[in-house]
Amino acid sequence: MRFELLDEIAERSADRLVAHKHVGEADDYLRDHFPSFPILPGVMMLETLVQAARRLAADLRGVPQDAALPAMVVAEVRKVTYAAMVRPGQTLTAEVKLRKADADAGVFDFEGVGTVEGKEAVKGRFRLRAVNPSERLGQPALAEN
Amino acid sequence: MPIEYEEAMAKVTEVLEDALGVDEDEVTPEATLGPDLGAESIDYLDIVFRLEKSFGIKIDQAELMPNEVLTDPTYVDGGKITDAGIAELKAKMPHADLSSIESSRDVDDFEKVFTVDTIVKFVQARVD
Amino acid sequence: MRWVWLDRIVELEKSKRLVAVRTVSWGEDVLHDHFAKEQVSDGRAVPCMPHTLVIEGMAQAAGVLAGHANDFREKVILAKIGKAMFTPDLLATPGSTLRHTATIERIDASGAATSGVVELIPPGGGADDARPFATIDLMFSHVDQNRQGLAFPEHNFVFTEQFMALLDVSGIARPVGH
Repeated sequence: MRFELLDEIAERSADRLVAHKHVGEADDYLRDHFPSFPILPGVMMLETLVQAARRLAADLRGVPQDAALPAMVVAEVRKVTYAAMVRPGQTLTAEVKLRKADADAGVFDFEGVGTVEGKEAVKGRFRLRAVNPSERLGQPALAEN
Repeated sequence: MPIEYEEAMAKVTEVLEDALGVDEDEVTPEATLGPDLGAESIDYLDIVFRLEKSFGIKIDQAELMPNEVLTDPTYVDGGKITDAGIAELKAKMPHADLSSIESSRDVDDFEKVFTVDTIVKFVQARVD
Repeated sequence: MRWVWLDRIVELEKSKRLVAVRTVSWGEDVLHDHFAKEQVSDGRAVPCMPHTLVIEGMAQAAGVLAGHANDFREKVILAKIGKAMFTPDLLATPGSTLRHTATIERIDASGAATSGVVELIPPGGGADDARPFATIDLMFSHVDQNRQGLAFPEHNFVFTEQFMALLDVSGIARPVGH
Protein backbone atom coordinates (compact mmCIF):
# COMPACT_ATOMS: atom_id res chain seq x y z
CA MET A 1 0.00 0.00 0.00
CA ARG A 2 0.99 3.61 -0.32
CA PHE A 3 0.55 5.88 2.62
CA GLU A 4 1.51 8.86 0.50
CA LEU A 5 -1.94 10.20 -0.25
CA LEU A 6 -1.40 13.41 -2.19
CA ASP A 7 -1.67 13.06 -5.96
CA GLU A 8 -0.85 16.65 -6.83
CA ILE A 9 -0.31 20.07 -5.34
CA ALA A 10 -2.72 22.50 -6.98
CA GLU A 11 -1.83 25.76 -5.23
CA ARG A 12 0.75 26.89 -2.73
CA SER A 13 1.68 30.10 -0.97
CA ALA A 14 3.53 30.99 2.22
CA ASP A 15 0.68 30.03 4.50
CA ARG A 16 -1.74 28.04 2.37
CA LEU A 17 -1.64 24.90 0.25
CA VAL A 18 -4.20 23.04 -1.83
CA ALA A 19 -3.70 19.40 -2.80
CA HIS A 20 -5.75 16.72 -4.52
CA LYS A 21 -6.27 13.14 -3.56
CA HIS A 22 -7.95 10.91 -6.11
CA VAL A 23 -9.83 8.07 -4.48
CA GLY A 24 -9.56 4.85 -6.40
CA GLU A 25 -7.94 1.46 -6.91
CA ALA A 26 -4.79 2.36 -4.96
CA ASP A 27 -6.92 2.77 -1.85
CA ASP A 28 -7.16 -0.94 -1.15
CA TYR A 29 -8.58 -0.38 2.36
CA LEU A 30 -11.85 0.66 0.71
CA ARG A 31 -12.44 -3.06 0.22
CA ASP A 32 -12.84 -3.29 4.00
CA HIS A 33 -14.47 0.13 4.48
CA PHE A 34 -16.98 -1.03 3.55
CA PRO A 35 -17.22 -4.21 1.44
CA SER A 36 -20.71 -3.38 0.18
CA PHE A 37 -20.40 0.41 0.35
CA PRO A 38 -16.88 1.79 -0.22
CA ILE A 39 -16.33 5.26 1.26
CA LEU A 40 -13.12 7.02 2.24
CA PRO A 41 -12.68 6.54 6.01
CA GLY A 42 -13.02 9.79 7.96
CA VAL A 43 -9.54 9.48 9.42
CA MET A 44 -8.10 9.16 5.89
CA MET A 45 -9.76 12.48 5.03
CA LEU A 46 -7.95 13.87 8.09
CA GLU A 47 -4.71 12.15 7.02
CA THR A 48 -5.03 13.84 3.61
CA LEU A 49 -5.25 17.22 5.37
CA VAL A 50 -2.31 16.21 7.58
CA GLN A 51 -0.14 15.35 4.56
CA ALA A 52 -1.06 18.62 2.84
CA ALA A 53 -0.08 20.38 6.07
CA ARG A 54 3.23 18.46 6.19
CA ARG A 55 3.91 19.63 2.64
CA LEU A 56 3.21 23.23 3.68
CA ALA A 57 5.40 22.90 6.80
CA ALA A 58 8.15 21.43 4.60
CA ASP A 59 7.92 24.44 2.28
CA LEU A 60 8.25 26.73 5.30
CA ARG A 61 11.38 24.90 6.36
CA GLY A 62 12.85 25.19 2.87
CA VAL A 63 12.65 21.46 2.09
CA PRO A 64 12.89 20.98 -1.71
CA GLN A 65 9.53 20.37 -3.33
CA ASP A 66 10.56 17.05 -4.84
CA ALA A 67 11.91 15.74 -1.53
CA ALA A 68 9.99 13.25 0.62
CA LEU A 69 7.65 14.73 3.22
CA PRO A 70 9.56 15.13 6.49
CA ALA A 71 8.26 12.98 9.33
CA MET A 72 5.58 14.73 11.40
CA VAL A 73 2.73 13.37 13.46
CA VAL A 74 -0.53 14.77 14.80
CA ALA A 75 0.03 16.18 18.29
CA GLU A 76 -3.52 17.46 18.77
CA VAL A 77 -6.82 17.50 16.96
CA ARG A 78 -8.89 20.43 18.16
CA LYS A 79 -12.01 19.61 16.17
CA VAL A 80 -12.73 17.72 12.99
CA THR A 81 -16.25 17.39 11.60
CA TYR A 82 -17.55 15.37 8.68
CA ALA A 83 -20.27 16.55 6.35
CA ALA A 84 -20.17 14.42 3.19
CA MET A 85 -18.92 11.08 1.90
CA VAL A 86 -16.06 10.61 -0.54
CA ARG A 87 -16.53 7.66 -2.88
CA PRO A 88 -14.24 5.84 -5.33
CA GLY A 89 -13.77 7.86 -8.52
CA GLN A 90 -14.08 11.16 -6.65
CA THR A 91 -11.33 13.62 -5.72
CA LEU A 92 -10.83 15.08 -2.28
CA THR A 93 -9.45 18.61 -2.49
CA ALA A 94 -7.56 19.42 0.69
CA GLU A 95 -6.93 23.05 1.55
CA VAL A 96 -4.80 23.81 4.60
CA LYS A 97 -3.86 27.12 6.15
CA LEU A 98 -1.15 27.75 8.67
CA ARG A 99 -2.46 29.29 11.90
CA LYS A 100 0.70 29.35 14.02
CA ALA A 101 4.24 28.13 13.59
CA ASP A 102 7.03 27.51 16.04
CA ALA A 103 9.65 26.24 13.62
CA ASP A 104 12.32 25.91 16.33
CA ALA A 105 10.10 23.60 18.36
CA GLY A 106 8.88 21.89 15.17
CA VAL A 107 5.25 22.59 16.09
CA PHE A 108 2.73 23.90 13.56
CA ASP A 109 -1.00 24.65 13.92
CA PHE A 110 -3.28 24.35 10.90
CA GLU A 111 -6.86 24.60 9.85
CA GLY A 112 -8.03 22.58 6.93
CA VAL A 113 -11.05 21.85 4.83
CA GLY A 114 -11.60 19.00 2.41
CA THR A 115 -14.15 19.31 -0.37
CA VAL A 116 -15.53 16.87 -2.88
CA GLU A 117 -17.24 18.19 -6.00
CA GLY A 118 -17.45 21.59 -4.32
CA LYS A 119 -19.13 20.25 -1.19
CA GLU A 120 -17.48 20.30 2.21
CA ALA A 121 -16.60 16.77 3.36
CA VAL A 122 -14.27 17.44 6.28
CA LYS A 123 -13.14 20.47 8.24
CA GLY A 124 -10.94 20.91 11.26
CA ARG A 125 -8.06 22.30 13.24
CA PHE A 126 -5.00 20.30 14.22
CA ARG A 127 -1.42 20.58 15.42
CA LEU A 128 1.51 18.69 13.93
CA ARG A 129 4.90 18.11 15.50
CA ALA A 130 8.17 17.07 13.91
CA VAL A 131 9.42 13.56 14.69
CA ASN A 132 12.86 13.37 16.25
CA PRO A 133 15.05 10.44 15.07
CA SER A 134 15.74 9.47 18.69
CA GLU A 135 12.06 8.61 19.04
CA ARG A 136 12.52 5.48 16.92
CA LEU A 137 13.58 3.71 20.08
CA GLY A 138 10.10 4.31 21.43
CA GLN A 139 10.77 3.92 25.10
CA PRO A 140 13.85 5.68 26.44
CA ALA A 141 13.68 3.80 29.74
CA LEU A 142 13.56 0.37 28.09
CA ALA A 143 16.15 1.25 25.50
CA GLU A 144 18.76 1.46 28.28
CA ASN A 145 18.02 -2.07 29.51
CA MET B 1 -28.78 28.29 43.66
CA PRO B 2 -28.24 31.14 41.16
CA ILE B 3 -25.02 31.29 39.23
CA GLU B 4 -23.23 34.58 38.56
CA TYR B 5 -22.72 35.65 34.95
CA GLU B 6 -18.92 35.52 35.22
CA GLU B 7 -18.93 32.02 36.65
CA ALA B 8 -21.37 30.76 34.02
CA MET B 9 -19.34 32.50 31.29
CA ALA B 10 -16.14 30.80 32.49
CA LYS B 11 -17.76 27.36 32.33
CA VAL B 12 -19.42 28.04 28.98
CA THR B 13 -16.04 29.19 27.63
CA GLU B 14 -14.50 25.89 28.69
CA VAL B 15 -17.35 23.96 27.05
CA LEU B 16 -16.95 25.88 23.79
CA GLU B 17 -13.16 25.48 23.76
CA ASP B 18 -13.61 21.70 23.99
CA ALA B 19 -16.61 21.37 21.67
CA LEU B 20 -15.46 23.79 18.97
CA GLY B 21 -11.68 23.60 19.25
CA VAL B 22 -11.46 27.38 19.56
CA ASP B 23 -9.05 29.36 21.72
CA GLU B 24 -10.15 30.92 25.00
CA ASP B 25 -9.63 34.45 23.67
CA GLU B 26 -12.02 33.80 20.77
CA VAL B 27 -14.90 33.13 23.15
CA THR B 28 -16.37 36.55 23.94
CA PRO B 29 -20.00 37.20 24.93
CA GLU B 30 -20.65 38.84 21.56
CA ALA B 31 -19.14 36.00 19.48
CA THR B 32 -21.69 34.20 17.34
CA LEU B 33 -21.59 30.41 17.49
CA GLY B 34 -21.81 29.80 13.76
CA PRO B 35 -20.09 32.65 11.91
CA ASP B 36 -17.45 33.52 14.56
CA LEU B 37 -16.76 30.20 16.27
CA GLY B 38 -17.47 27.84 13.36
CA ALA B 39 -20.16 25.73 15.03
CA GLU B 40 -21.86 23.19 12.77
CA SER B 41 -24.96 21.10 13.41
CA ILE B 42 -23.13 18.17 15.08
CA ASP B 43 -21.41 20.71 17.36
CA TYR B 44 -24.69 21.90 18.90
CA LEU B 45 -25.35 18.36 20.09
CA ASP B 46 -21.84 18.23 21.55
CA ILE B 47 -22.33 21.62 23.25
CA VAL B 48 -25.58 20.39 24.80
CA PHE B 49 -23.85 17.24 26.17
CA ARG B 50 -21.03 19.27 27.63
CA LEU B 51 -23.29 21.94 29.15
CA GLU B 52 -25.35 19.21 30.81
CA LYS B 53 -22.22 17.66 32.28
CA SER B 54 -20.62 20.94 33.31
CA PHE B 55 -23.72 22.48 34.93
CA GLY B 56 -25.48 19.30 36.06
CA ILE B 57 -28.68 20.15 34.17
CA LYS B 58 -30.78 18.45 31.48
CA ILE B 59 -31.19 20.30 28.20
CA ASP B 60 -33.24 19.50 25.14
CA GLN B 61 -31.33 20.73 22.08
CA ALA B 62 -34.47 22.38 20.71
CA GLU B 63 -34.75 24.48 23.87
CA LEU B 64 -31.26 25.87 23.52
CA MET B 65 -31.50 26.51 19.81
CA PRO B 66 -35.03 26.35 18.41
CA ASN B 67 -33.95 25.65 14.84
CA GLU B 68 -37.17 23.83 14.08
CA VAL B 69 -38.99 27.19 14.12
CA LEU B 70 -37.03 28.11 10.98
CA THR B 71 -38.27 25.11 9.01
CA ASP B 72 -41.89 25.43 10.08
CA PRO B 73 -44.07 26.95 7.33
CA THR B 74 -46.22 28.55 10.06
CA TYR B 75 -43.28 30.72 11.02
CA VAL B 76 -41.35 31.17 7.79
CA ASP B 77 -42.62 32.33 4.43
CA GLY B 78 -40.29 32.53 1.42
CA GLY B 79 -37.13 32.66 3.54
CA LYS B 80 -38.57 35.43 5.72
CA ILE B 81 -39.61 34.96 9.32
CA THR B 82 -43.25 35.90 9.89
CA ASP B 83 -44.63 37.90 12.84
CA ALA B 84 -45.75 34.61 14.37
CA GLY B 85 -42.21 33.27 13.86
CA ILE B 86 -40.65 36.24 15.65
CA ALA B 87 -43.12 35.82 18.51
CA GLU B 88 -42.27 32.13 18.73
CA LEU B 89 -38.52 32.80 18.76
CA LYS B 90 -38.97 35.45 21.46
CA ALA B 91 -40.96 33.00 23.55
CA LYS B 92 -38.38 30.25 23.11
CA MET B 93 -35.30 32.45 23.45
CA PRO B 94 -36.25 35.03 26.08
CA HIS B 95 -32.59 35.88 26.72
CA ALA B 96 -31.47 36.45 23.17
CA ASP B 97 -31.21 39.84 21.49
CA LEU B 98 -33.37 39.29 18.43
CA SER B 99 -33.48 42.92 17.25
CA SER B 100 -31.38 42.40 14.11
CA ILE B 101 -33.38 39.42 12.90
CA GLU B 102 -36.59 41.25 13.79
CA SER B 103 -35.72 43.97 11.30
CA SER B 104 -34.19 41.84 8.53
CA ARG B 105 -36.55 38.86 8.98
CA ASP B 106 -33.99 36.81 7.08
CA VAL B 107 -33.74 33.13 8.10
CA ASP B 108 -30.05 33.19 7.24
CA ASP B 109 -29.51 35.90 9.86
CA PHE B 110 -30.65 33.61 12.66
CA GLU B 111 -27.16 32.35 13.32
CA LYS B 112 -26.02 35.95 13.83
CA VAL B 113 -28.25 36.36 16.87
CA PHE B 114 -27.13 33.13 18.51
CA THR B 115 -24.18 34.29 20.59
CA VAL B 116 -22.11 33.06 23.52
CA ASP B 117 -24.11 35.51 25.68
CA THR B 118 -27.32 33.71 24.62
CA ILE B 119 -25.94 30.43 25.98
CA VAL B 120 -24.69 31.96 29.23
CA LYS B 121 -28.09 33.55 29.95
CA PHE B 122 -29.89 30.34 28.97
CA VAL B 123 -27.78 28.35 31.40
CA GLN B 124 -28.21 30.96 34.16
CA ALA B 125 -31.97 30.72 33.79
CA ARG B 126 -31.86 26.93 33.90
CA VAL B 127 -29.58 26.65 36.91
CA ASP B 128 -31.75 29.00 39.03
CA MET C 1 -4.03 -2.44 3.98
CA ARG C 2 -6.72 -4.07 6.05
CA TRP C 3 -9.06 -1.79 7.91
CA VAL C 4 -9.67 -3.44 11.25
CA TRP C 5 -7.31 -1.74 13.69
CA LEU C 6 -8.09 -3.87 16.75
CA ASP C 7 -6.81 -7.36 17.58
CA ARG C 8 -9.12 -8.24 20.43
CA ILE C 9 -11.78 -6.85 22.72
CA VAL C 10 -10.73 -7.64 26.28
CA GLU C 11 -13.52 -5.98 28.27
CA LEU C 12 -17.08 -5.06 27.33
CA GLU C 13 -19.72 -3.57 29.57
CA LYS C 14 -22.80 -3.09 27.40
CA SER C 15 -23.62 0.57 26.60
CA LYS C 16 -20.87 1.74 28.96
CA ARG C 17 -17.29 0.75 28.28
CA LEU C 18 -15.12 -1.30 25.94
CA VAL C 19 -11.41 -2.10 26.14
CA ALA C 20 -9.61 -3.36 23.04
CA VAL C 21 -5.96 -4.05 22.33
CA ARG C 22 -3.83 -4.20 19.23
CA THR C 23 -0.17 -4.84 18.68
CA VAL C 24 1.74 -2.69 16.22
CA SER C 25 3.57 -4.89 13.73
CA TRP C 26 6.27 -4.59 11.10
CA GLY C 27 3.97 -6.80 9.09
CA GLU C 28 1.80 -3.78 8.34
CA ASP C 29 2.59 -2.03 5.10
CA VAL C 30 1.82 1.38 6.50
CA LEU C 31 4.82 1.33 8.84
CA HIS C 32 7.14 1.00 5.86
CA ASP C 33 5.86 4.29 4.46
CA HIS C 34 5.46 5.98 7.84
CA PHE C 35 8.21 6.90 8.17
CA ALA C 36 10.63 5.82 5.47
CA LYS C 37 14.31 6.75 5.69
CA GLU C 38 13.98 9.64 3.24
CA GLN C 39 11.57 11.32 5.62
CA VAL C 40 13.81 11.36 8.68
CA SER C 41 16.60 13.84 9.28
CA ASP C 42 19.31 11.26 10.02
CA GLY C 43 18.36 9.14 7.00
CA ARG C 44 17.13 6.14 8.97
CA ALA C 45 13.49 5.01 9.07
CA VAL C 46 11.21 5.68 12.06
CA PRO C 47 8.42 3.11 11.71
CA CYS C 48 5.42 4.10 13.81
CA MET C 49 1.63 4.04 13.67
CA PRO C 50 0.22 7.19 12.10
CA HIS C 51 -1.70 9.01 14.81
CA THR C 52 -4.67 9.30 12.48
CA LEU C 53 -4.85 5.49 12.50
CA VAL C 54 -4.59 5.49 16.31
CA ILE C 55 -7.69 7.71 16.18
CA GLU C 56 -9.27 5.12 13.85
CA GLY C 57 -8.50 2.37 16.40
CA MET C 58 -10.37 4.38 19.01
CA ALA C 59 -13.19 5.07 16.54
CA GLN C 60 -13.54 1.31 16.00
CA ALA C 61 -13.47 0.54 19.73
CA ALA C 62 -16.01 3.29 20.46
CA GLY C 63 -18.03 2.47 17.33
CA VAL C 64 -18.33 -1.22 18.26
CA LEU C 65 -19.34 -0.18 21.80
CA ALA C 66 -22.02 2.17 20.42
CA GLY C 67 -23.19 -0.41 17.86
CA HIS C 68 -23.33 -3.19 20.44
CA ALA C 69 -25.54 -0.99 22.66
CA ASN C 70 -28.30 -1.38 20.04
CA ASP C 71 -27.40 -4.94 19.00
CA PHE C 72 -25.80 -3.54 15.81
CA ARG C 73 -29.12 -2.38 14.39
CA GLU C 74 -27.86 1.17 13.83
CA LYS C 75 -25.37 2.24 11.18
CA VAL C 76 -22.85 4.01 13.37
CA ILE C 77 -20.74 6.53 11.45
CA LEU C 78 -17.97 8.81 12.74
CA ALA C 79 -19.31 12.37 12.66
CA LYS C 80 -16.80 14.35 14.72
CA ILE C 81 -13.40 14.07 16.33
CA GLY C 82 -13.99 16.43 19.22
CA LYS C 83 -10.59 16.56 20.75
CA ALA C 84 -7.59 14.29 20.47
CA MET C 85 -4.41 14.91 22.43
CA PHE C 86 -1.25 12.85 22.04
CA THR C 87 1.54 12.56 24.61
CA PRO C 88 4.62 14.38 23.32
CA ASP C 89 7.72 12.34 22.43
CA LEU C 90 5.90 9.02 22.33
CA LEU C 91 5.44 6.92 19.19
CA ALA C 92 3.79 3.54 18.64
CA THR C 93 6.76 1.65 17.21
CA PRO C 94 6.66 -2.03 16.11
CA GLY C 95 6.08 -4.38 19.04
CA SER C 96 4.12 -1.79 21.02
CA THR C 97 0.65 -2.67 22.23
CA LEU C 98 -2.08 -0.05 22.15
CA ARG C 99 -4.86 -0.42 24.69
CA HIS C 100 -8.00 1.56 23.83
CA THR C 101 -10.59 2.23 26.52
CA ALA C 102 -13.77 3.74 25.09
CA THR C 103 -16.54 5.07 27.33
CA ILE C 104 -20.01 6.15 26.24
CA GLU C 105 -20.80 9.64 27.53
CA ARG C 106 -24.22 9.72 25.96
CA ILE C 107 -26.21 7.65 23.49
CA ASP C 108 -29.65 8.34 22.06
CA ALA C 109 -31.62 7.86 18.87
CA SER C 110 -29.49 10.32 16.89
CA GLY C 111 -26.08 8.95 17.84
CA ALA C 112 -23.43 8.64 20.52
CA ALA C 113 -20.74 10.72 22.20
CA THR C 114 -17.73 8.85 23.57
CA SER C 115 -14.56 9.62 25.44
CA GLY C 116 -11.47 7.49 25.09
CA VAL C 117 -8.03 6.83 26.49
CA VAL C 118 -5.24 5.07 24.60
CA GLU C 119 -2.35 3.61 26.56
CA LEU C 120 0.87 2.39 25.03
CA ILE C 121 2.57 -0.71 26.40
CA PRO C 122 6.14 -0.67 25.10
CA PRO C 123 7.66 -3.63 23.26
CA GLY C 124 8.23 -6.47 25.69
CA GLY C 125 6.45 -4.62 28.47
CA GLY C 126 3.51 -5.70 30.57
CA ALA C 127 0.34 -3.99 31.73
CA ASP C 128 2.31 -2.24 34.49
CA ASP C 129 4.43 -0.51 31.89
CA ALA C 130 1.44 1.14 30.18
CA ARG C 131 1.90 4.84 29.54
CA PRO C 132 -0.83 7.34 28.64
CA PHE C 133 -0.59 7.86 24.88
CA ALA C 134 -3.71 9.73 23.80
CA THR C 135 -7.13 10.97 24.85
CA ILE C 136 -9.71 10.98 22.06
CA ASP C 137 -13.30 12.29 22.24
CA LEU C 138 -15.57 11.27 19.37
CA MET C 139 -19.14 11.65 18.17
CA PHE C 140 -21.05 9.22 16.01
CA SER C 141 -24.25 9.55 14.02
CA HIS C 142 -26.84 6.87 13.48
CA VAL C 143 -27.17 7.54 9.78
CA ASP C 144 -30.74 6.37 9.30
CA GLN C 145 -31.80 8.86 11.93
CA ASN C 146 -29.81 11.82 10.65
CA ARG C 147 -29.09 11.49 6.98
CA GLN C 148 -32.22 10.31 5.33
CA GLY C 149 -32.10 11.23 1.70
CA LEU C 150 -28.39 10.57 1.41
CA ALA C 151 -27.52 7.51 -0.57
CA PHE C 152 -26.92 5.08 2.27
CA PRO C 153 -27.83 1.46 1.66
CA GLU C 154 -30.63 -0.17 3.60
CA HIS C 155 -28.55 -2.97 5.08
CA ASN C 156 -26.05 -2.37 7.87
CA PHE C 157 -22.87 -1.96 5.81
CA VAL C 158 -20.88 -0.66 8.80
CA PHE C 159 -20.69 -3.73 10.99
CA THR C 160 -19.05 -6.06 8.53
CA GLU C 161 -18.18 -9.71 8.87
CA GLN C 162 -14.73 -8.57 10.02
CA PHE C 163 -16.22 -6.89 13.07
CA MET C 164 -18.35 -9.93 13.77
CA ALA C 165 -15.18 -12.06 13.56
CA LEU C 166 -13.59 -9.66 16.06
CA LEU C 167 -16.48 -10.41 18.45
CA ASP C 168 -15.94 -14.14 17.81
CA VAL C 169 -12.23 -14.10 18.69
CA SER C 170 -13.02 -11.98 21.74
CA GLY C 171 -15.55 -14.51 23.02
CA ILE C 172 -18.47 -12.10 22.65
CA ALA C 173 -21.75 -13.49 21.32
CA ARG C 174 -22.85 -12.16 17.94
CA PRO C 175 -26.19 -10.40 18.09
CA VAL C 176 -29.16 -12.26 16.68
CA GLY C 177 -29.29 -11.92 12.91
CA HIS C 178 -25.53 -11.43 12.42
